[in-house]
Amino acid sequence: MSAQDGVEARNARKVYGTGQEKVVALDNVSIVIKRGEFFTLLGPSGCGKTTLLRLIAGFETPTSGTILLDGTDITYDPPNKRPVNTVFQSYALFPHLTVAQNIGFGLEMRGHAKAEVDSTVEEMLALVRMESMADRKPTQLSGGQQQRVALARALAPQPKVLLLDEPLSALDLKLRKEMQSELKRLQLETGITFIFVTHDQEEALTMSDRIGVMKSGSLLQVGSPREIYTRPADRFVASFIGETNFLTGVLGKDAITLDAGGTLPLGASTQAKSGSKVTASIRPEQIRVIETDAPGSLPATVTESVYFGTDSHCHFALADGTEVVVRLQSPASGDVGLSRGQNVFLRFEPGALMVLEDQA
Amino acid sequence: MSTDSDRLERQRNRNGWLLSTPALVLLAFGATGPLLIMFVYSFLEPGKYGNVIWEFSTKAWFNVFVQRDIFDGTLSPADAHLTILWRSVKLSLMTTIFTFIVGFPTAWFIATRPPRMRTLLLFLITIPFWTNLLIRTFAINQIIRNEGLLNTLLLKLGIINEPLLIIYSDFAVFIGMTYVYLPLMVLPLFASIDRFDMRLVEAGYDLYASRWQVLKRVIVPIVKPGIISGSILVFIPSLGAYVTPRILGGGRNMMIGNFIELQFGQGRNWPLGAALSVILLLIVAVALVVYVRFANRGDSNV
Repeated sequence: MSAQDGVEARNARKVYGTGQEKVVALDNVSIVIKRGEFFTLLGPSGCGKTTLLRLIAGFETPTSGTILLDGTDITYDPPNKRPVNTVFQSYALFPHLTVAQNIGFGLEMRGHAKAEVDSTVEEMLALVRMESMADRKPTQLSGGQQQRVALARALAPQPKVLLLDEPLSALDLKLRKEMQSELKRLQLETGITFIFVTHDQEEALTMSDRIGVMKSGSLLQVGSPREIYTRPADRFVASFIGETNFLTGVLGKDAITLDAGGTLPLGASTQAKSGSKVTASIRPEQIRVIETDAPGSLPATVTESVYFGTDSHCHFALADGTEVVVRLQSPASGDVGLSRGQNVFLRFEPGALMVLEDQA
Repeated sequence: MSTDSDRLERQRNRNGWLLSTPALVLLAFGATGPLLIMFVYSFLEPGKYGNVIWEFSTKAWFNVFVQRDIFDGTLSPADAHLTILWRSVKLSLMTTIFTFIVGFPTAWFIATRPPRMRTLLLFLITIPFWTNLLIRTFAINQIIRNEGLLNTLLLKLGIINEPLLIIYSDFAVFIGMTYVYLPLMVLPLFASIDRFDMRLVEAGYDLYASRWQVLKRVIVPIVKPGIISGSILVFIPSLGAYVTPRILGGGRNMMIGNFIELQFGQGRNWPLGAALSVILLLIVAVALVVYVRFANRGDSNV
């Protein structure tokens, strides 16, 4: 495998409209997605993730910049000349064809012999566990089944890259969980590069090898789910991926003096200058509630407690009024035993407090 | 409880039937009645000054296909009738095919415009319906006749030296019918293209289909209902066209509609006219059956 293997976007820029109505959908994005990787583009709607996907698929051409596949420039190749297939958000199954004909479509268009098409279709049907549905029409299938067919159809021609455009968004929660592990399994079995687009952070965290977080046409951070979650690059990434608390303070040496009072150690070194005003973040599950004062803890007052089943989200006010949310695992009784107005202490897990670099 | 709801259901059904009675009566008398009269008339003797004599005869049906020489009484195929029949079928088929070729891109264009533009374009398509067919056909006549707009323009521009002899030919009838029936092709095509999910085109391209393959394997099979109804809407009225061939075809290039009119008018041969009418109906019926069969066949082996 050479360094150029995989998909690469170089300064990809896409502008829709002109003059007053000009919209920059993608703003000079550069990214390398390695071969065989499960890569997720994560961001809110309108962040440009689908545009980037469409540039890779070939449905659109960039205003400037290049798209490369295994080192070859494919920027202006039409979609039918690219070894890249898409699983559409709406599935876009051909309603006049049966499940088997849908799956065989790509191979047939490529001019493969009928016997070969048939055997691949069988293989694909088995891969997505839809053998018994081969002769049905898409309208006779449930959403989850259509999803499987769409996957099988896109995988059948054995593309180098599979693009998935929010494929799970139309499914209900239970089915979505099922399909998440199904997708992961398929990716491992086929070894094909998956580029998955979603606005669901949980989906991104559980399935991806790496995640690219996007906002307003720019790529903010690229990294493994763990990196993105524990070391978010900025405020947006920190709040978009999981929930988090923001605390302001003045930076000292490997510690931060909070505006709410107290000096706490930092989890990792930061590029921010000592003595500067910074924002730090800490995840709700990284905070413990204790009854008595201890080193590294802050006094707080309970303002609200919301029951979520597996856990409860308790809201606290610090000395200066800053709100902090703590996630507490529910005990058997379901009651975490905190009442409004109660004074407690919050102990931050050592190393959990992170300074956000963009605040420096 | 269930008997109550059953009774309600029955009553609702009965009321439904009652409500549709006027339409059913109208259909029975307005559509079936005249056809029945035509069928009966075709087996009667012609009266001297039109009308029919109530005597059973198959002469009319015989005369549709065979003619007796007025001097020596020998029998030969009725060339004139067959020529007219063939011309009718040929021109109608040509009109159907050509309106499809022109109408499909038009309908596609309209269906892919933004909603406001689409409404305007559809409105423009329906404008010809505001004017009487006769007047529109005369307008075409003014354009293509020997001293008409087209020839004058081409002569002035020096593109031709002699006027093009278009008027009073099969071609003129074809032009006229294409013009008149084009909206009838465009509207049903638009209706089904409008429902077509454009993302399927992307899916097709994505799965290595060329533009032509996407058209043939994805678009056409899915918008087929529109193609069928458009073709039927154009083919049937063109087959029985009367005004257009009369004005643009002159007296010589009759279609079956004009010929039937002739039998009921100057020809004073009502039974022959009736027999020809029944034949027209049969052609339409056969064409419909063949077309629908043919169109549905594609489904299973795409």
